[in-house]
Amino acid sequence: MPGAECQVPNDGSVTGAAGVPQSTIRDPQSTIPQETFVLNLGPQHPAAHGVLRVLMTMDGEWITRAEPVIGYIHRMHEKMGENRTWAKFLPNTSRIDYLSAMHYTHAFVGAVERGAKIEVPPRAEYLRVITSELNRIASHMVWWGALLSDLGGLTPFLYAFDDRELILDLLEGLCGARLTYCYYRFGGVCNDADDDFLRGCRQFVRHMPARLKLYHDLVTGNIILRKRLEGIGPISAEMCRKYGATGPVIRGAGVAYDVRRVEPYSIYPQFDFEIPTFPQGDSMARYLVRMAEMEQSLRIIDQALDKIPAGPVMGKVPRVLRLPPGDYCYAVEAARGRFLVRIVSDGKDVPYRVRLRTPSFSNLSLFEEASRGMILPDALAMMGTLDLVIPDIDR
Amino acid sequence: MNPTLEQLCEQFGRLVGPAPAASAAPAAPPAPGPVQRTDHAAKGYDLDVSVAPLQVVMAAEILDRSGFGLDAVTGVDWLAQGQMEVVYDYFHPTTPLRVAVRTRVPRAQPEVPTITAIFPGANWHERETHDFFGLVFTGHPNLKPLLLPEDATFHPLRKDYQS
Amino acid sequence: METQVDTSKIVKFAKLEDVLALGRAYSLWPLTFGLACCAIEMMATGMARWDLARFGAEVFRPSPRQADLMIIAGTVNKKMAPAVKLLYDQMLEPKWVMALGNCAISGGPFVYPGQYAVVEGVDQLFPVDVYVPGCPPRPEALIEGILKLEEKMTGKRRFPVAKLQK
Repeated sequence: MPGAECQVPNDGSVTGAAGVPQSTIRDPQSTIPQETFVLNLGPQHPAAHGVLRVLMTMDGEWITRAEPVIGYIHRMHEKMGENRTWAKFLPNTSRIDYLSAMHYTHAFVGAVERGAKIEVPPRAEYLRVITSELNRIASHMVWWGALLSDLGGLTPFLYAFDDRELILDLLEGLCGARLTYCYYRFGGVCNDADDDFLRGCRQFVRHMPARLKLYHDLVTGNIILRKRLEGIGPISAEMCRKYGATGPVIRGAGVAYDVRRVEPYSIYPQFDFEIPTFPQGDSMARYLVRMAEMEQSLRIIDQALDKIPAGPVMGKVPRVLRLPPGDYCYAVEAARGRFLVRIVSDGKDVPYRVRLRTPSFSNLSLFEEASRGMILPDALAMMGTLDLVIPDIDR
Repeated sequence: MNPTLEQLCEQFGRLVGPAPAASAAPAAPPAPGPVQRTDHAAKGYDLDVSVAPLQVVMAAEILDRSGFGLDAVTGVDWLAQGQMEVVYDYFHPTTPLRVAVRTRVPRAQPEVPTITAIFPGANWHERETHDFFGLVFTGHPNLKPLLLPEDATFHPLRKDYQS
Repeated sequence: METQVDTSKIVKFAKLEDVLALGRAYSLWPLTFGLACCAIEMMATGMARWDLARFGAEVFRPSPRQADLMIIAGTVNKKMAPAVKLLYDQMLEPKWVMALGNCAISGGPFVYPGQYAVVEGVDQLFPVDVYVPGCPPRPEALIEGILKLEEKMTGKRRFPVAKLQK
C-alpha cells in the first residue's frame, strides 16, 4: 500500500472512528426522539455524475435507505436500434457511454460481424485495440478527477484533463472527433492511422508513467484520501455476482473477472497484461484497480505499437447488410465493466431488437443495499468509486 | 467452483424434460431441443435453454448454484406470433461459459415469475423490461417505472406502439 | 493662473446600465448543469487547456440561486424537463441561458418520428440566449458562445473574430 509509513487507524466500522455520535435510530436504548427525513440528492447535484436522483431516507447523517431514481437522461437507444439500419445505429453507440465510446462501438460492431460473419483485417484489429485502450485511459482520467472533486480535492481534475487532452488530440487526428468517435465500422475501422498517430501514441506511452507516479505520490498516499476511502463502502464478491456488477467493482472485491481475459475477444489473447485485483472490497481497492489498469493499458498499447502490421483496414462488407435470423451477442470490457450487446435479427436490414446491457446499470443497482447504514459522505465516496455515467444507466 | 457444460446440460435436461419428437415430414430438419449447445464464436453464448415461463426460477437456481451471475434480462416482442419472449443472460466470473435462458409468453397475458429472490440484480432489469414491454413479473416487490416517467402508462418497445 | 484640465482624460462618464452590463458580462457565473456528453466538453473548457477562467466564467456554482448563466449541456428528457424548468425559475434575474450542443438546441440526434422521451430543444421550455451547435461542440465553440453572449449583453465583442489570410 502506498504511504505505508503513516499509520491509519481503521477500525473497519461503517460509522467511522470512535467518538463519532452514533445513529439514534439504530440504538434502541436512545431516548432522543427518533425521526427520519427524506433528502433528495436531486437530478442536479455536483456529485451525482450526471442526472441521477437518489432519494435518501436519512437519520441525521446516516442513510437508512438510498433509492436511486433514474430515467432522467433516457434517450431511447434501444428503440432507435429498431428503426434504423445496422450502420445508422453506430453514432448511437458512442453516446451511450461517451467516456468510453470506442468500447461501445466495438461491442455493436463485433456483434454484427459475428452475425454476418465478416472478417476483420489484422491491422484494423490492432488499431481497435490501441484506440480502445487509449479510450480506457482517458475515461479513467475523468473518473479520477471526478472522484477527487467529489471528495473535495479540486486540483487533480486539472491534471487529469491535461493528460486527457493529449489522448484526445491523438484520437482527433485519427478520426476527427474528441469525444463521441464513430471510428469503427463493420469489417474494420473507417480511417487508417498515419505515422503521426503512431508516433504520438509512442510519445504518450513514454510520457504517461511519470504522470501516474506523480498522481500516486500526490494523491494515492495522501492521508485524507486514505481515510476517506479505506474501509469505506465494502462490496463483497458475492454481492457483485448477485447484482451482476462487473469491472473494477468486482475486481476490487477480489475476483479477477475481466472480459478481455475470461471471455477473450478481438486480439487481446496476443497481449501480455495483468488483471489488477485487490481483495479488500472497499473503495480504496476499487481506486487502486483503476489506477493499475491505466498502467496495464499503457503496456497493451506499447505491445500493439510494436506488433501492428501493415495492410488494409476494412474487410469485405456487403452493400446492404442483412444478418441471418437469430440472436447474437458480443461482450467487451468497457472502462466501467462488462458491456454486452444482444441483437435479434429477423433477416431484414433493420435490427429487430438491440439490447444494451450496460455496466453502470448493474453497478448502481447494488447501491441501495450497499449504502444502508453509512453516513452520507461515505456513500458519496462509494458512489464515486463505482464510476457511474448516468446515460450509461438510462440509455 | 467451475461448472462444466456437461453438468449444466444434464441439470437443465432434468428440468425441461426430453426433446420433442421429430416432426412427421421426413425432409424437415429436426426441431431444436430445449437445451442446445451453441458456438460461442458464432453466437456469443455457449448454452441456449428454452423453458416454460414457470420454470425460469428453477433455471435461475441451477445457475446460481453453479456460480453464475445475472447479465441481462431482455424482452422481445414477437408481434406476428402473438408472443413475447424473455431472454435471461448469465455470465460466469471465472470460466468463459455464458448461458441464455429463454421463455415465451402469450402477448395477451404476459406474466413471468420474478427471479429477484435469487438474483437481486434482476429487480431493476425486470422493472425496465416491464417499462418497455408491459411484461408483468409476478412477485416482483416494486414494479414501478424505472426509466420512463413515474406516471407513464405506455410501453414503447412494443411493436404496435404509436406515440 | 490655474491650468485647465481636460476632465475627459481623467473621468469617464457612462450609463449605469452599460457599466453593469460590462460587469455582468465579464463575470458570468454558470450553473453546473451538465446532463450528458456536452458536459464533458464543458468541463474540459473549464480546465487548464481551454481555460474559461480567462473570460471570467469559470466559477461554476452548484446552486441556481447563485448562478446567472445556465448552460444546458446535454439532452433534456421529458422526465427531466420539470426539474430544468424549476432550476430556471430558481435563478435570479438577470439570467441568461446557453443551449450547448445539438440536443439542447433541437433534440439533437435523438429525434426521430414517433420519439417518446426527448424534449426537442430546450427553447420549448424557456427562452434561450445563445445556441452553440455541435455534437459535442468543441471547447472553442463554447468559448465563442460566451463571447457572443458578452456581445449580446454589452453590444461590443471583446475579442476579434479570426479572419483567414488571403
